[in-house]
Amino acid sequence: MNASMSTRTIFMIVAAGIVMIGGGLLIGQTMPSFFPPEASAQSQQIDSLFKILLVIGGAIFLLVQGLLLYSVIAFRAKPDDTTDGPHIHGNTTLEIVWTAIPAVIVTVLTILSYNVWVSIREEQPAEAVVNVVGARFNWAFTYTVPTDELPADTVVSELPQTIQDKLNQDGAVQVATNELHTYVGQSLKLEMETRDVIHSFWVPAFRMKQDLLPGRVTEIRLTPVEVPGNTDYPVRYPIRCAELCGGNHGAMVSWVVVHKDEAAYKSEFLNTEVSQVLHPPEDPVLRGRQLLESQQYPCFTCHVLSEFGWVGDVGPSLDGVADRAAAARAQATGLSAAEYLLQSIHEPNVFLVPGYGPLMPNLNIPDDQAADIVAFLCTLSVSGESAC
Amino acid sequence: MASISVPAGETSAPQQPRLRVSDYLRWSVDHKIIGVQYMVTSLFFFLVGGVLALTIRTELLTPQLDVLQTGQQYNTVLSMHGLIMIFLWIIPMMAGFGNYLVPLMLGAKDMAFPWLNAFAFWLIPPAGLLMLLSWFIGPPEAGWTMYPPLSTIFSGDGQVLAALGAHLLGISSILGAINFLVTIRNMRPKGMGYFQMPLFVWAMTATSILVVMATPFLAGALTLLILDKVAGTAFFDPANGGDVLLWQNIFWFYSHPAVYIMVLPGMGILSEVLSIHSRKPIFGYKMIALSSMAIGGIGFTVWAHHMFTSLQPEYRLPFMITSMIIAVPTGIKIFSWLGTIWMGKIRFTSAMLFSLGFLSMFVIGGITGVMLAVIPFNLHVHDTYFVVAHFHFVLFGGSVFAIYSGLYHWYPKITGRMMDERIGRWQFWLTYIGFLLTFFPMHFAGILGMPRRVAVYAPEFQTLNSLSSAGSAVLGFAALLLIWNMYKSLYVGSIAGANPWRALTLEWATTSPPPAHNFVGDPVPFHDPYGYGSEEATAYLDEIDQRYGKGSPAQPGSAAAPQPAGD
Repeated sequence: MNASMSTRTIFMIVAAGIVMIGGGLLIGQTMPSFFPPEASAQSQQIDSLFKILLVIGGAIFLLVQGLLLYSVIAFRAKPDDTTDGPHIHGNTTLEIVWTAIPAVIVTVLTILSYNVWVSIREEQPAEAVVNVVGARFNWAFTYTVPTDELPADTVVSELPQTIQDKLNQDGAVQVATNELHTYVGQSLKLEMETRDVIHSFWVPAFRMKQDLLPGRVTEIRLTPVEVPGNTDYPVRYPIRCAELCGGNHGAMVSWVVVHKDEAAYKSEFLNTEVSQVLHPPEDPVLRGRQLLESQQYPCFTCHVLSEFGWVGDVGPSLDGVADRAAAARAQATGLSAAEYLLQSIHEPNVFLVPGYGPLMPNLNIPDDQAADIVAFLCTLSVSGESAC
Repeated sequence: MASISVPAGETSAPQQPRLRVSDYLRWSVDHKIIGVQYMVTSLFFFLVGGVLALTIRTELLTPQLDVLQTGQQYNTVLSMHGLIMIFLWIIPMMAGFGNYLVPLMLGAKDMAFPWLNAFAFWLIPPAGLLMLLSWFIGPPEAGWTMYPPLSTIFSGDGQVLAALGAHLLGISSILGAINFLVTIRNMRPKGMGYFQMPLFVWAMTATSILVVMATPFLAGALTLLILDKVAGTAFFDPANGGDVLLWQNIFWFYSHPAVYIMVLPGMGILSEVLSIHSRKPIFGYKMIALSSMAIGGIGFTVWAHHMFTSLQPEYRLPFMITSMIIAVPTGIKIFSWLGTIWMGKIRFTSAMLFSLGFLSMFVIGGITGVMLAVIPFNLHVHDTYFVVAHFHFVLFGGSVFAIYSGLYHWYPKITGRMMDERIGRWQFWLTYIGFLLTFFPMHFAGILGMPRRVAVYAPEFQTLNSLSSAGSAVLGFAALLLIWNMYKSLYVGSIAGANPWRALTLEWATTSPPPAHNFVGDPVPFHDPYGYGSEEATAYLDEIDQRYGKGSPAQPGSAAAPQPAGD
């Protein structure tokens, strides 16, 4: 700064620099203590980047707070001192330095961040695609299992005709769950849609987040990794909705279930689910019941159904809905009870039960599933028999 | 010594009628009355927003719902808290400082358009009323950000009322800002070029440019939202060709500059207070002035960093780069302020304490701001309590600390009375500690996995939330101390005199409170608004003291007596 800078001043500056950088490094070391487990390949890269941010941020924090603390102690006016400080207006060298150094720091940070940003979005070989649907206040995941990946003991010709037809037509069956199952090392690509408002898919342990936007399909890539010291598989990590989506936003939670390896993933999860899909109950009432109880669709968030413990109060209660459909609704709409219930699923806003608003989204439930749901709803009568 | 010049004219202006409370409840075109009207109105809304904040913190003491009945109610409380604190507290409070101070600092008799000035203020009470009424007719529950389709489908009709309220407040801001720009451009006294203006005036210049350019976008966005809600249009409804990201883009094109609209005047306050109370010239005047303009300019190019998890991934990168760049002018300011107090003779007045507190807190908000600009880290903490912590460090640790500082600094000018310094110190330390306790733990809650705007949360976050809630009680109490101090000092504060801080800017070169039309005769500014530590400055300040008299201890029964300007 100044030609007459004394040895003592230089010593002080060097000492302060060491404290600042050393302190920054120390602050950086505290990082794992306030982070969730590092459970995805992406989280490892993001955390290394954050560590650099924390070291630099920590050093700047110490610099500014240190200068501030030093100033308020060293330059405090004596009680009887009414004079002014020195008449100094600035120092061009110093001003250039404190413009240039931050400029260099943010340039470096931008380059480092760019590299990580490119890398965490990179397409992986052999990605498994899982469809994600968010709806107030529920997560649903759909896995497509092609014919050649069905459990080894499957004999296609012995399956129910509807399933055989589907396999012939699509070459695959779908498995739906409310939790995201995966295994260590699997490259996942999630294709996400929302049924109503904006939601945001966030797995804190994976450090990744992406909004689900009405009218768009958004994507996010995740690769679970082994967390050192963890032997207890499958591991469960919370999924949380991060974008305000309504009254139960905070409760829009699900889980990622990470299995140990592909074999465990199949034996503990996929094969059981697939065989349930391949061998559905004969009785449509039972199928409909299973479907609703699985919470694959978010009916439970808005409707009461005491049998299942549903308490949603946004829409009309489903307790005894069959009787009401057969009597009052049939009279109002001119439809039979079954037709009315089907319409309420596919086009929920055509007839609104008095006292309720047009809030139910079209959930795009396939026809066969809708028929099963109607069959089940028809049994929600006082007598317990189908009222349709 | 020829350059020493003190406002000419008689010091004992003819006695004018003393202002009464009722004078402040009426239409007046006196910028000083309007300034006080802005300040008192916004302090009222600060208390309302504060009660809502404490409701939030009380609810979050436990992971379940217990104070409020439903999640929607919680969302309403947080939406109203955000709307009120931003649109009815910080922005109008800064406008209040601007109104009171800009003409005085320029040695002018009033703002350029006094009638327009009054009109801009009188839009605020009905706007505030609309916002409060929205509570009762199907309250908004989509946050202050009002993202569709949550706001268009699920929020009640109150959403429309709140949007209309924000509309009115936007008009008020724009009218006020035009007034500031014209006043600053045309009404500077002889001898005051742009680079001799006080830095607060520079800050108001940058702020007003931002307001004039950005606020129309808020108006546009709100209009589309209202149309979608009441007229069946589909600007934000993808099922009918609309787009939800349209809202986010327009909204943030206003709302990011709005952050600077809220912070830049605070930075202006800081530049005044730090220099005056450490008795040293501001360090790097030009860099501080120009960095305000740079922040204002770059501030228009960073909006989509609020959309790092929703914007199409291929468009995100440019916004990371601009958001990084804006850290540089912000850093310049922080280092210049440190340079200002360095080797000064720091007086630990309450005003100074809050400005030092600003420095200490704002730097944390700045560091987390750079962290949030980094897209990969942002993906983790976007829409979490980390962000809540960050923007409270900027808006409370920044703007509100600056407001507190400004109130202690200019209260003597406005009322002619000093505030109680002992209560001021108590308020500072309680605010400083309460603030850290409330908002620092939120960083950890966010990183560990707690999303923002949740009424219920995972039990593992309860300890962190309890700390925050405890801190918020301290913060609330400290705010009441300020109100009490302001009220009581009006009656028992010691007499301030014209220039209790021995400051060089023109607002101090007239009586406290200033007479109608501010100055007797045309004041001539001291050539260097921050020329402390020179003999010339000392001589100038001594002459002011001689001319207008110094402060004295309180005399019972002599309440503050500001004087009105004619309508």
